Amino acid sequence: MKIRIRKKYLFYVLLILSAFIAAVTTSIDGIISYFYISNPWVFGVSVFLVGVFITLFLSLILSVPIGNNKSIGSVIDPSFRRIRFVKKEELKYHIMAGIGNTVSTLGYLYVVSKFVDPSAVLPFFQVVILYLLIVESLSEKDAPTLAETESSIIVTFGAIMTSISLSGEVNVMALLVIFLVMNPGWVLLAIYQRKLKLMKIGDTHNDSINIRLWNVIFTTIFMAVFVFIYNKDYFFEAINASFKFYPWLSLTMGVTFFSYVLYIRALGLGKASIAQAVKASTIIFAIPLSLLLSHYMNFSFSASPTLLVIKLMGIILVVLGVATFALTEVRAYVFINAQGDKSIKELMDEIWGIRGVVAVSALAGKHDLIAKVRIRTLGKGYERIIRRLEGIEGIEKFMWQSILKEWEEI
Amino acid sequence: MIKAYIMILVYIGKLGEVLDKLRKIENIKSIAVTAGDYDIITKVSVETLEELMEVTDKIQLVGGIKRTTTSVIEKEIEL
Repeated sequence: MKIRIRKKYLFYVLLILSAFIAAVTTSIDGIISYFYISNPWVFGVSVFLVGVFITLFLSLILSVPIGNNKSIGSVIDPSFRRIRFVKKEELKYHIMAGIGNTVSTLGYLYVVSKFVDPSAVLPFFQVVILYLLIVESLSEKDAPTLAETESSIIVTFGAIMTSISLSGEVNVMALLVIFLVMNPGWVLLAIYQRKLKLMKIGDTHNDSINIRLWNVIFTTIFMAVFVFIYNKDYFFEAINASFKFYPWLSLTMGVTFFSYVLYIRALGLGKASIAQAVKASTIIFAIPLSLLLSHYMNFSFSASPTLLVIKLMGIILVVLGVATFALTEVRAYVFINAQGDKSIKELMDEIWGIRGVVAVSALAGKHDLIAKVRIRTLGKGYERIIRRLEGIEGIEKFMWQSILKEWEEI
Repeated sequence: MIKAYIMILVYIGKLGEVLDKLRKIENIKSIAVTAGDYDIITKVSVETLEELMEVTDKIQLVGGIKRTTTSVIEKEIEL
């Protein structure tokens, strides 16, 4: 029997799982950099060099067929069949996503290597949510509503409050790197991975497993070239480290693989900014893991009352923001009958151009077209959808059917 | 691949029962409870028209359903 769950929850389930796995990875990374590879440049290159092999290995395992044109990986992403080469039309998106990942990772490595306490500045990485909102509002189809902007700001500041440390100093240079290098790099990665996920490959959507595999390959190439040019010694040290510490590096990249696959799959279901905001819940999962690490490995974990109150307030803000995203979504079907003086194809294109329309189908039967819409509020449904539909010539009548509850096959 | 929307009208008080049964039918890709002229809108994906007829039959045999309207999708654009 097939599993059907409510689609809007699938998006959040995928992201929260991804956030939890990302928190585990962060802890493993902490162990590696504390005990084994302290130089972040060497760590960065070696983790990706090992990452290519472990990601390829996992993708191959997930390609094992289980019958009915499905493989083990189709349990994680139903669009996945087997690993494959990059298609020509995907190449430019993979290059952009690879550059984005490289730039973002290098920015991160720079901040970690230059400043004593990066936890004082790295929380500002969460502001990337707001960058994504701006990018999406520039592309008209995804303009954010007030509810989305408010919730994103709540999550962003909540995430900053939860993860900030009061011990380090806020360094202007570090903040510049975060705002001008890391965050734009991450925006490139998120936007282009989403574009890749929404592409049709054959008769189905692109799958997150191949997207992750090729992103790791492209990022490794760009990163290796950059570090080789920047400092040859670091590059050779990284090759050495990847042989010496491959079990730990495989572990972190193996776990990261699943976090990214779930994240990329979620990118195909909703906006990048909202996906990023929900994924910011990773900082909540990171707190108990940090406590565990501090207990077993003598890491210092500040427990000053002021800091704990700030962190608690931050957690409440993140949870509130994520819950608001999940609960404020209106979906509807609009059944449309055409007048007959305009081709159905033209009408389809015009309806598709309306913000909030996520699918348009031409039908044989009682109605000529069905549009599926997704908006934040019913008020927006009137302003954005109904008023626009009324303005389209060639529509005889339309009928709005609000969706009260929905299940989709996963 | 043939896709179709099947719109369903349900007798009052039977919605929960109908939904439970619909969720067990293969080839139904999505089920939406709606407010308006129809009570439930399902999206079906099948390989042949004969399979579509089988799915429609199965839906019509579910107790509590008053009427179904099937619309085959000729072309689709989606995110």
